[in-house]
Amino acid sequence: MDSASSDSTPTESPAQPADTAAAFEPPRRGFFVKFLAGALGIIVGAVPFVTGLLFFLDPLIRSGKGASNRNVLGGAEKDEDGFVNLKVSIDALPADGTPQAVKVHDDKVDAWNMFLNVEVGTVWLLRNKQGGVTAFNTVCPHLGCSVDYRQSNADFYCPCHQSAFGMDGGKLNQIPPRNMDQLEVKVKDDKNVWLKYQNFRGATPEKIAIS
Amino acid sequence: MNKFLNWLDDRTGIRELMHEALFERIPGGARWRYVWGSTLVFTFSIQVITGLFLWTAYSPSAQTAWESVYYIQDIMYMGNIVRGIHHYSSSIMVVLMAIHLIQVIIDGAYKAPREINFWLGLILLQIVLALSLTGYLLPWDQKGYYATQVTTKIMGATPIIGPQLQELVQGGPAYGHHTLTRFFAMHAGVLPGLLMLFLGLHIYVFRRHGVTTPDPDRAPETTFWPDQVLKDGVACLGVLAVILGLAIFKGAELSGPANPSEAYSAARPEWYFLFLFRFLRFEVVEHIGAEYFGGLAFGAIYVPGALMGIITLMPIIAWWKGDGGHKFNLYFMWAISIGIGVLTGMAFYEDGKDVGHQAAIAEANRDAERVRELAKRPSKISIEGAGALLRDDPFTQGPRIFAKYCSSCHRYNGHNGRGRMVMEQIKVPDKNGKEVSRAVASIPTGADLGNFGGEGWWKSLLLDYENHVGGFSTIEESEMAAWSKDNREAMQDPKNADDVKAIYEYLASLSARGDREYAPKLVEKGRKIVTDDEFITVGEFASCTDCHDSLGEKFKVTGSGFGYPDIADYGSKPWLTAFILDPGSDQFYGEDNKMQAFKGKISDRDLDLLVRWMTGDYYETEVEDYESKVKELEKALEARKAK
Repeated sequence: MDSASSDSTPTESPAQPADTAAAFEPPRRGFFVKFLAGALGIIVGAVPFVTGLLFFLDPLIRSGKGASNRNVLGGAEKDEDGFVNLKVSIDALPADGTPQAVKVHDDKVDAWNMFLNVEVGTVWLLRNKQGGVTAFNTVCPHLGCSVDYRQSNADFYCPCHQSAFGMDGGKLNQIPPRNMDQLEVKVKDDKNVWLKYQNFRGATPEKIAIS
Repeated sequence: MNKFLNWLDDRTGIRELMHEALFERIPGGARWRYVWGSTLVFTFSIQVITGLFLWTAYSPSAQTAWESVYYIQDIMYMGNIVRGIHHYSSSIMVVLMAIHLIQVIIDGAYKAPREINFWLGLILLQIVLALSLTGYLLPWDQKGYYATQVTTKIMGATPIIGPQLQELVQGGPAYGHHTLTRFFAMHAGVLPGLLMLFLGLHIYVFRRHGVTTPDPDRAPETTFWPDQVLKDGVACLGVLAVILGLAIFKGAELSGPANPSEAYSAARPEWYFLFLFRFLRFEVVEHIGAEYFGGLAFGAIYVPGALMGIITLMPIIAWWKGDGGHKFNLYFMWAISIGIGVLTGMAFYEDGKDVGHQAAIAEANRDAERVRELAKRPSKISIEGAGALLRDDPFTQGPRIFAKYCSSCHRYNGHNGRGRMVMEQIKVPDKNGKEVSRAVASIPTGADLGNFGGEGWWKSLLLDYENHVGGFSTIEESEMAAWSKDNREAMQDPKNADDVKAIYEYLASLSARGDREYAPKLVEKGRKIVTDDEFITVGEFASCTDCHDSLGEKFKVTGSGFGYPDIADYGSKPWLTAFILDPGSDQFYGEDNKMQAFKGKISDRDLDLLVRWMTGDYYETEVEDYESKVKELEKALEARKAK
């Protein structure tokens, strides 16, 4: 409690208890008094601390904070399945399968705020062999860096830890734990690309969505 | 265990330290009267613990401070309790500090050789008050914002360095982001650091001299542990119980988000500063400052500073021969305590009696509840901050716009829209026949719009048109008033009750209020009656469409008419908007119009908010509305007539 007093030498003043400690014997007290005093001390300290700790654990205790699929005035365009309109036409994607990086706009909930129609991430969009559209989340399934497209090697490559993936998203080396995270795509009216944007937990062999 | 302790003791000397901390000698035995210092250390510990946790969720900027505190208070798990504990502990700390100080003075514990420790204690007192003051602003709500404005203005009145000091504290010429970051750095960093430093010194010097014992032979000597610790623990438990009780059952207040353009007339400092606030309100204090010296600084700085100075000098005053100095100190202390008590009491009493202040508090509460309700919508708070929620809300702005533009003629449930009576000054002769002015309730000259477009509105309009619109000289010539007289009997016949109910339902349905549902069958029946397709059970009835031929159609702004107001979709948004803009148009009252046209006098935005409020087009609310003043107004008008 008063650590400051230990800095001075005990002989400095007669008021210091140290040199009289031998002469003065503290009265003996029963276990009960000591126990009660100690318990009270712990209780009064624990109450504010535990309350605060529970408050700090809020992110684990409280759930259901994610964005809803509702369309809000001025917000992103969404359908009932949670797909957002990428505002990209399938005709705009190169026919040879070269991927295009497309920014995803969605409504983002951040604690007390709702940000309408803001960039929430990027996806690689490419024409697949069946003539449809394939989308990969650019977030590397390894440790979350951004995966680039390497034209020279015709592969996806993560500059952080050298994860490499083929154009079908399959991993080309043993660095990433799984293939690139493919995202669900809908093509509406034969040309408009809609996408369900999701992020997944990193460094796991399974693809586990973060809600 | 013992081995480990030996190892640790060899390297740190922990045993001696613990021994010294725990086995402080207390001559005369442990006593309840020694607990106050410990309870203060305890409340400070609570503040540090809860403060650090609150820090993990608080965001100091003008667009996020209120918002993060709202999130802590209303959304986060246990947030209201943690904030409640932090809030009430600060009040309790001030109370405990006052008790501690008073006890020190009564027991003469400030006298030699304990002068230095007394001064250290006074420094601690200042730090704690500074902590309360800086903490009061952090939620960035109306209450804290406006109360702290007063404090920084007082700083600005400091001689010589005032303006610079104020700007430094604010982080700029006006309140903004940097006011918050600075206050927060003081509140959570500098001041607690200083407090810990001075608390350490305070306890160190205290231990050097030991406890001030009035009668050392009262009981056998004992030690701090465990006898005094037990008593301290019980006292701390009591303090904790009070704090928890307040935090759980009362909760910390959070008024609406700070808004410099929205006057906040309910501004008051935290209750323990109320005495200073009340002191500054004395005209004589203001007068001395203005006429003789100091200006504002006289009452706000010099007088409190001088009193504090005398308290600081108490140990030296006590040197006076005999007991004279100590006696003076005691009297001085009681005088100040009584003064503070009386001033605080006066402030509470006067505010309680002040109708304007109570109305301001009621409105502040209404705003606070409303903004928290709006922030909980799925659309949450935009990047602009929560201020925008109230700014764009018809339920909040409608009454203010009504009070500004409409309340000189109309009332809203008897008040001006914002829960206050509309008053005016009239000259009346007093006993000696001399003219004096007196404030009386103003006589409304337009209809009370409290239930505009609803069933009650139609009831009073159809049954008693003359009184419904009120105050017009040409009302005798009104055909509508004649209709009211002619049809009143039929309308009130119990046999027609169902028909009349249908009429009201139909007419009310014209406003298409979103906050009310209408029974389709009843509406259809009502429509048939007022358009002459069906007849009432008993008696005769001049149908509405005889004159208001567009009734039942969709409202269109045409500007033309035949001398009878167009009541198609009466009370709906388009109708009310067109009516307010130009009530004298031929489509409405034409030549008979008495109301001023607001075209060009009200902004589109204000008009939209007003109309949406009056037609119930806003996010559904559970907030209690302004209290009705209908009865109060009736009474006041009768009293006025009697005189």
